[in-house]
Amino acid sequence: MNDSKPLTGGGLLFKILEQHGVEHIFGYPGGAIMPIYDALVDSNVQHFLCRHEQGASFSAVGYARASGKVGVCMATSGPGATNLITGLADALADSIPVVAITGQVPTAAMGSDAFQETDIFGLSLACTKHSFQVTDIADLEKVLHKAFAIALEGRQGPVLVDIPKDIQIAAVEQTFTKVASLKNKVKLPLADITKALDLLTHAKKPILYVGGGVGMANAIDEVRSFAETTGLPSVSTLKGLGALNPDDENYLGMLGMHGTKVANLAVHDCDLLIAVGARFDDRVTGKLDQFAPDAKVIHFDIDTAEINKRRIADAPILGDLKENLPLLTMSLDIQDWQTQVRQMKENCAWRYDHPGERIFAPAVLKEVSDLMPENTCVTTDVGQHQMWAAQHMNFDDPSNFLTSGSMGTMGFGLPAAIGAQISRPHDTVIVVSGDGSIMMNVQELATIKRYQIPVKIILIDNAKLGMVRQWQDLFFDGRLSETDLSDNPDFVMLATSFDIKAKQITQKSEVTAAIKEMLDHDGAYLLQVKIDAKDNVWPLVPPNSANNEMMESA
Amino acid sequence: MNPITMNKYKLIIMTDDKQVVLERILQVTRYRGFLINGMTAQVNTGNNIATIELLVSSDRPISLLIDQINKLVDIKSVAVDNSSSQRCSA
Ligand SMILES: Cc1ncc(C[n+]2csc(CCOP(=O)(O)OP(=O)(O)O)c2C)c(N)n1
Repeated sequence: MNDSKPLTGGGLLFKILEQHGVEHIFGYPGGAIMPIYDALVDSNVQHFLCRHEQGASFSAVGYARASGKVGVCMATSGPGATNLITGLADALADSIPVVAITGQVPTAAMGSDAFQETDIFGLSLACTKHSFQVTDIADLEKVLHKAFAIALEGRQGPVLVDIPKDIQIAAVEQTFTKVASLKNKVKLPLADITKALDLLTHAKKPILYVGGGVGMANAIDEVRSFAETTGLPSVSTLKGLGALNPDDENYLGMLGMHGTKVANLAVHDCDLLIAVGARFDDRVTGKLDQFAPDAKVIHFDIDTAEINKRRIADAPILGDLKENLPLLTMSLDIQDWQTQVRQMKENCAWRYDHPGERIFAPAVLKEVSDLMPENTCVTTDVGQHQMWAAQHMNFDDPSNFLTSGSMGTMGFGLPAAIGAQISRPHDTVIVVSGDGSIMMNVQELATIKRYQIPVKIILIDNAKLGMVRQWQDLFFDGRLSETDLSDNPDFVMLATSFDIKAKQITQKSEVTAAIKEMLDHDGAYLLQVKIDAKDNVWPLVPPNSANNEMMESA
Repeated sequence: MNPITMNKYKLIIMTDDKQVVLERILQVTRYRGFLINGMTAQVNTGNNIATIELLVSSDRPISLLIDQINKLVDIKSVAVDNSSSQRCSA
């Protein structure tokens, strides 16, 4: 901080970011946020200029998810602010702690349809956990502290702070030394585990169903020791992947629409479902009234509103997973069930012996997973490639698999990987993308170029909006509508123009060497993997069906 | 929503009198599938606590809405006033 200048609202912002340990932020300047960008010059916070505010918000999400810290992004008023919204909605849906700062027209101009004025405060209501608009410089410091506290407290989420230009310029009269702390308002009752204990000890066919809440609660050790000690057969949601040990013999993989056959069958058959930081999402349950139809439910969660929302819990256990999971950690007598499930697991193991010379995406991703260094962080976009990554790659921590779960937002992968790489400069970061999704935030290749961010991009190229094409083939009589992308740009040339090394492969025989070359390359790399446009993701629980009614081929 | 099975409730919400808290409550109520049949709101200027009475109807259980409103940052408490909540007669 330059001491010769009096402290302004803009300067105070960076002081407070520094107090919260923020080292990196993602943003894009403009008229109504210029005083903040001016104060940035004197601050120790490192700013990454993204090439679209949506990129900035997803980089903040990726940063937060990979590091466990709050991700911070900022944008100007009007179009800058609205461009952040998709990233904020994604963060809300996946409970990711992000603080977004937006510039606003001066307070005197607010409400006059001023140039680049938009009611971002109003727009934020449905896409943030909470939001603030600061109209008095005396409130700015407290509001910013609160924003961080709210983003991290309880079920995490995005918080937006809208700061009018005159507040950014205003002189700060007084600063407080104490960081305001926030008490969790919703008092959770002490967990009553009597009912849960009774259910658990009497169950013949119990299943552990783990969701994204485990990673968010930092309760990986607790859930693994619970799984190990109880010997429970276990399944994971998309966002829960990495929480359970993938090598545990009782672990059955992902459940739901594109889950493993064994996971879905075992859940369908179980008599007790122990949901841990999971919320019975429709992509998980399929037809809700036929989901685990014979099961009682023990539901661990931090969010009261998730209990009984989609499925009545026979024994709800509200509160911190780290404290509550150990309360039920005990050995169980369920050998028969374990044996039955393990047998099923053996019978439905993945197969990679795919005929012909064309590349089989699941085999590529399996091989990448086997070859990638320890603690590699993988991000994905959305579509078939995302489901193949979830099915065929193994992760040892949820912070190593970043995917847009609840929102399913195409365009997530590349900027999220940039954020992840910046938060973890010494780890390998891989994006698994599709030829549709990559184009949604393709401008971020320029961010990679500018900051020399060494992310590895695996582009699974079927020249289609593959997942939509698959549904059109299966459920719309093959009437293909607007899913052809055969006129895509030359991706190798495109990457090369951003100084990113790139290569295209089309044959199985090229796969291993290409993966190794990519992983060994020091800088950014794009590997374009051409696959058959007709390849589908299997198994698939068709819409409105029970999870035991999986399709395994067309 | 099926008007025949729709239940009516009166919610009493105590909240800090903060920016847009009313908009937030209305947004959550609509989004979670409840119709708003009436509303009164008053602020106690002494302690800056607002009391909002919200008449809502839905065929969804009221606990779903209570839990969601309770999650809003500025809310102090949400309760159903049983004396005036009722099931619509057909
Ligand atoms: C922003 C956004 N728009 C539309 C969709 C709907 N959608 C889901 S998957 C998909 C196709 C994705 O194509 P691609 O990235 O090439 O991946 P593929 O399925 O071919 O692997 C689309 C359009 C979405 N998820 N997100």
